[in-house]
Amino acid sequence: MTTEAAHPGDDPDRLLSDTRELAQRVRKDQRATWFPLLVFAVLTFASIPVRRYSGHHLDCVAVPRICSVYSDAEFVYWPIALVLAYVAIAAFYIRRSRARGVGTRVRPYAIAGIIIAVALTGVALWEVRNPPVHPMGLDGLAYQLARPEGAIGFALLVLAWAERNRALLLLTLVYLVAVLMPITFGPVQPNPPWYFYPAIFQGSVLLLGGIGFALAQRPLRSPAP
Amino acid sequence: MTGHPANGLDDTVHQRVRLGILTIAHEARRVEFSYLRNNLDLTAGNLSQHLGVLESAGLITIEKGYAGKRARTWVTLTKAGQAALAEEIAQLKLLISQIERTDTALHGQT
Repeated sequence: MTTEAAHPGDDPDRLLSDTRELAQRVRKDQRATWFPLLVFAVLTFASIPVRRYSGHHLDCVAVPRICSVYSDAEFVYWPIALVLAYVAIAAFYIRRSRARGVGTRVRPYAIAGIIIAVALTGVALWEVRNPPVHPMGLDGLAYQLARPEGAIGFALLVLAWAERNRALLLLTLVYLVAVLMPITFGPVQPNPPWYFYPAIFQGSVLLLGGIGFALAQRPLRSPAP
Repeated sequence: MTGHPANGLDDTVHQRVRLGILTIAHEARRVEFSYLRNNLDLTAGNLSQHLGVLESAGLITIEKGYAGKRARTWVTLTKAGQAALAEEIAQLKLLISQIERTDTALHGQT
């Protein structure tokens, strides 16, 4: 390396490709995708006993005959759990960035995550009193997304943008499909035997994604000099 | 030849190391001295010189502090630095496309 300015004959192609390579290296060093995925997998699995052992309500609309089941505890568990999760994720990223000496763009993700979580909880509360007219139609899909699981998915989209991470974008789309997929068996009942299947499925997508990213990002996680 | 893209290149930025510093600072928002030194494969003295040039030009700010008992130097890109980096990248792309057009024209003649 020299301190002189580049010679006019310096190859601009080389300069540009060096710049791109450096930018890619920094982005890889900034990523810690595995951590939020594992945190959300734990929250999703932990929501199973919360739902199982909390009180349930069965609300039905007479015409057309539509019923919805909800648990009080979920409306308390998810907003608190999500806000705490984003605080933990932001703290983890900041600590890691200090150790590595390179800043990250975690703030927009954490802020967007908290806003989405609070907003969708509000929407979910409203939906309890206003169930969809066509549960399997487009409005039914919107209702499926306006849940804590959907909030996690939307916030992961923000993380994929902040980390410029295509692999995470792909995983998030798979996860959102898992959230939208209606896993129901038989008639609507307050606490059906299959109540934990969606959470197991969605949690597994997050867990496997988290493990995959942890393995992929492991060689890059060197201790700070 | 005033219209040639090479004339639009800023000597402060059009230098491999300084372009590297600005690129890393742009991606990271805030970057530590040791991260720059390791990733650009420079000595501390050499890096300090380049940082001094960029700071004098108002393209970066340098902030010294402590993380625990350890002294740290943080580098942040200024708005002028962001604009200079964007301009340099645009000029480089323009230069490359001009070279490619000239090459194509020469090959067409032969």
